[in-house]
Amino acid sequence: MGERTIPELLPGTLYMLILRTLSGGPLHGYAIAKRVKETSHQGLVIEDGSLYPALNRMLVKGWLEAEWGISENHRKARFYRLTPEGRKQLDHEAEEFDRLVRAIQLVMRTA
Amino acid sequence: MSLWKETLRRLAYLGRRSRFDADLDTEVEFHIETRADELARAGMPRPTALAQARREFGSPARMAEETRSAWQFRWLEDLAADLHYAARAFRRNPAFAATAIACLALGIGANTTIFSIAAEVLFSQPSVRDPYSLVRVDIGGNSASPVREYEFLRDAHTFPGLAGENEEMETNWRDSDNTYRLSVVRVTDNFFDVTGIPVALGRPIQPGDSDRVVLTYGFWQRRLGGAPDVIGRKLLLDGRIDTVSAVLPRDHRTVTGFGFSPDLYAPVTDPKTYVTLYARLEPGTTRLAALSRLKPACQELDRAYPDGNHKWANNLHVSAVSGIERIDTEHELMRPVAGFFAVLMVVVGLVLLIACANVASLLLARASSRSHELAVRLSIGAGRGRIVRQLLAESLLLSACGTGAGLAINIGLTTLLSRIQLPLPIPIQFLIQPDWRLLAYAAAVALVCSLAASLAPAVKGTGVGISAMLKHGEHQLGRHVWTLRNVLVVGQLAASIVLLCAGFLFLRNLVNASAMSPGFDIEHTVWAYMRLVPESYRDPAKTRGLVDAAVERLRSLPGVETAAIARVVPLNNNMRRGTEVSTDLNSRGLHVEFHINYVGPGYFQAMQIPIVTGREFLPADRKGAPRVAILNQNLARRVFGAVDPARHFVRFGQGETILVAGVAKNSKYFSLGEENALAYYEPYDQSPGPVADLHFLVRATGRPEPLIPGINTSLGQLDPTASLEIKPMSKALVFAMLPSRVGAAILGSMGMLGLLLASVGLYGVLLYSVSRRIREIGLRVALGATPAGILRLVLRQSAVLSAAGIGIGMALAVFAVRPLARFLSPEVRPADLMNFVVVGAVLAAVALAATLSPAVRALRVDPVEALRHE
Repeated sequence: MGERTIPELLPGTLYMLILRTLSGGPLHGYAIAKRVKETSHQGLVIEDGSLYPALNRMLVKGWLEAEWGISENHRKARFYRLTPEGRKQLDHEAEEFDRLVRAIQLVMRTA
Repeated sequence: MSLWKETLRRLAYLGRRSRFDADLDTEVEFHIETRADELARAGMPRPTALAQARREFGSPARMAEETRSAWQFRWLEDLAADLHYAARAFRRNPAFAATAIACLALGIGANTTIFSIAAEVLFSQPSVRDPYSLVRVDIGGNSASPVREYEFLRDAHTFPGLAGENEEMETNWRDSDNTYRLSVVRVTDNFFDVTGIPVALGRPIQPGDSDRVVLTYGFWQRRLGGAPDVIGRKLLLDGRIDTVSAVLPRDHRTVTGFGFSPDLYAPVTDPKTYVTLYARLEPGTTRLAALSRLKPACQELDRAYPDGNHKWANNLHVSAVSGIERIDTEHELMRPVAGFFAVLMVVVGLVLLIACANVASLLLARASSRSHELAVRLSIGAGRGRIVRQLLAESLLLSACGTGAGLAINIGLTTLLSRIQLPLPIPIQFLIQPDWRLLAYAAAVALVCSLAASLAPAVKGTGVGISAMLKHGEHQLGRHVWTLRNVLVVGQLAASIVLLCAGFLFLRNLVNASAMSPGFDIEHTVWAYMRLVPESYRDPAKTRGLVDAAVERLRSLPGVETAAIARVVPLNNNMRRGTEVSTDLNSRGLHVEFHINYVGPGYFQAMQIPIVTGREFLPADRKGAPRVAILNQNLARRVFGAVDPARHFVRFGQGETILVAGVAKNSKYFSLGEENALAYYEPYDQSPGPVADLHFLVRATGRPEPLIPGINTSLGQLDPTASLEIKPMSKALVFAMLPSRVGAAILGSMGMLGLLLASVGLYGVLLYSVSRRIREIGLRVALGATPAGILRLVLRQSAVLSAAGIGIGMALAVFAVRPLARFLSPEVRPADLMNFVVVGAVLAAVALAATLSPAVRALRVDPVEALRHE
C-alpha cells in the first residue's frame, strides 16, 4: 500500500461507517475493516490501530454487542452486532451527515 | 439513563479486566492471522505474509492501551493523580497535615460516636427473624395480659404466631451458699419459635418445656465463667431445678430494646403472670390489617372471660418492634430520649463545624502562601476548575484521613461504653458495634467536611486576579481585618460560645441536682432489698409474719434508730394511679393522677419526711382495720383546698371510704426534676396481694455504712433462700442523678472540645498573621516602636476577633439554648445572665492564652533580621 489515496476520515464518521456496515448483520473486526475498504472501492480505510478502540467505545455506549463465534476460516473470532440503540444512533448520524453534506454542497455550488 | 447503563458497563469491565486483556489479545491475533491468510492466498509465502500483516497492524500495545481507556473512568484517574500530588505535598509539610487531621479526627470522632449511640439506642433491631413482620400487640389498653387471656387468643389462631413475655421478672438463684437475684424474662413456651431468636449453643425453649432456661452470653461469661459444658447444667432458681438448654449469642438484643440485658430466659411457670404479646404476621400484612383482625378475636375473648367493665376489645394497639416506627408508637419514655439525641446531634454538628473551620483556615493559609504558585499555574493555562479540583482533592485526602482517625476514636469510645455497667435498677448494657450505618454516615460526614473545608480556599485561592497576585506576591495579604480566615475564626468562637453555654447549663444542672434535696434524708438511711421466692410465700399471712419479724430484728440492731417497710423506694421505683377522687366535703369526683406507695409504721420517721397534720401510720392500721391514708401537701391542697384533710374521708370511684390520717410534707417521688407531684400513701398491711419484693428502709443514728453487715446477717437468717441487696440510700440515688450526670458529661465535654478547637483556630490565625507581618513589625521597631506598641498590635487583632466572636455567639446562644429548658431542672434557667457572663469570661481567658505565643513571637522580631530576610 505505497500510495496515499486514503482521505482522512471526517471526525465522527468512523462510528457511522461501522454502524452502517454492521446493519447488514454481525461481523468480526477484520471483516468490518475489509467491508468498508471494499464498498468504498479502496476510498476509505479504517486503520487497524483505531478500529478496536472505536469498537470498544461503541460497546461502552451500548450501540454494539459482542459475541464469540467461529469465523469462515474456522478460527475463534469476536462478532459485533448492532443493538436497537445502535440502529437508532445510525439513523440519527446518517441524517446529520446528509444535512452536513447537503449544506457543504450548497456552499460549494453557489458561492 | 443511558449514562447510568454506561457506568454499569464500565463497572462490569472493572470486574473482568484480566479476561478482557486476554480476549483482546485473541482478537488481535485473529485479525493478523486472517490478514496473513489473505496475503498467502494472493501468493505471498506464509512467514512473509505474517510479518507483513503484523507491520500493517501497527503497535498492538498502543492499540490495547487505547482500547482499555475506552472502558476506564477518566475522572477516577484524574482524582488518583490529584490525591497522589496532595499526599506528596502533605509529606513535605507534615505539621500542617497533622494539625488538620487531628482537628477533623476529634470532630468526626465526637460526631460519629454520638451517632453510634443514637443509632443503637433508638434504632437497634431486636435479634429476631424478620423483625418487620413481628409486632407488639396491646389489648384492652394494657401493656400486658394474663396468661389465660393470652392462651385464648393464641388458640383463636388470629395470627400465624402469638407469643408472650414478661421482662420485668426476677428470680433467686441459689449457688452453693449464696443467693443472687437475677433478672429473668419469662416467656411462653412458643416464644423462641414465634420470634425466631437464634441461639449460639444448645436448643431454645420449645413448646412443652417448663423447666428449661436459656442463658444470655453475659450471664454465662460473668457468673458461670463461660464453661463449655454449660448445656445440661442444673440451676436452682426460686427453689426449682431448671436445666440450661441454650446460650444466646453475644450480640443478642431483646425485643424490649434500649440495651436491656437480662440474665436468662425461662418459661412462664406461674399462671398469674402477665405477659406482653408479640404476634408474627404473614408477610405483607400491614399493622392496620392485623388490628382489624384482632378486634373480633378480642370481642370473642370478652364474651369468654367477662371482666366487669373492662373490655379487652377496647384500646387495641399493634406496634412495630424495630425501626423508626417504634419511636412513634412507643410509650412516653421515647420522646425525651429522642429529643435529647436530637440536641446532641446538633451539638456534635457544631463541634464538627468548628473543626472544619480550622481545616479551612489552615488550607486558606496554605493557599495564600501558595498564591504565587497558583497564579503561575493559572497564567500558563491551567483551568480554574482544574485547580479547584486539586484543592478539593487535598481536603478530601485530609478528611479521609481525619475520618479514619475519627472512626478509631469512635470504636475506642463505644467499646469502652459497651463495657460500662450502668448503675440502674434494671440491667442495661449497650452493645455498640461499628456497622454499615456508621460507615455510611462517616462517609457522608467526610464528604461534607471536605466540601466545607475546601470551599473557601478554592474560591479565595483562584478568585484573585492573576496579575495582582503575581505582582504583589504575599506582602499585601493579611492587611485587611476581615479576611476570610478572620471571619472563620469569629464563626468558630461564636459556635463555641453556644456550645459552652449549653455545656455550662448542664453542669449547673448537675450541681443543682446534687445539691437538691429529695425531701427525705439520704445521709443516714440504708435501703435493704430482700427478694423472696414467690412460690414459698403464697399465703399473705406468712409474708406479713416475715415482714414483722424483719422490722423487729432491724430495729433491735445497735446503731439503728428505726426501720420500716415500703412497697416503693422513691426515685428508684414508681407506682402511679389516675382515678376519680371524691371526699365527704365534695361528692363530685375530681380526676387526679398521683404517685402511690404502701408504707409500714415508722416509714415517715425513717425517711425523715415530716407529717404536717394528723398522724403517721400505726401498727394498729392492719388488714381488716378501717382503711386509712396519708396525702402529701400537693394532693391535700388539690382535693381539699384550704381545709385540713385530717379526719375527713376520700373515696376512689365507687370504692369504700378511706379516712385521711394525716398529711405528709412534699418530697420527690420519681425524678429529682419533677415539680408539684401528687402523692398518696396507704398502710403496707392494707396493700393488695402478697409481693415477693420487700424494701426495708433503715435509719442509722450515725453513718449508715457500718450497719450493712449486721442487716445482711439478720435478714439472711430469716430466710436463706431470699436474695439480699443492701446499700446506703445515697448510692441508690445514682439512678436519679444519672440523667443530669450523663447530660453534664456529654455536653460539658463537647463544650470543652469546641473551645479547644476554636482556640487552636484563633492561635493559628494570630500566629500566621504575625509571621506575615514580620517585615512590617521589623520596620516599625526600626522606626522606634516600643515593645508595648508591638504588643498592642497583636492584642488588638485578638481582641477584635474575640469580641466579635463572643458578641455574635451570645446573641445566638440566647435563642439556641432555649429549647434545652425541658431537659433541665426548673431552677436552672437557660436565660440566666450568669451563664453568659461566666461563659464569656472563660472564652476571653482562653483567647488571651491563645494570643500569648503569637505576641511573644512578635516581640522577638529582630528588625535587622526581618528587613534583610526579604
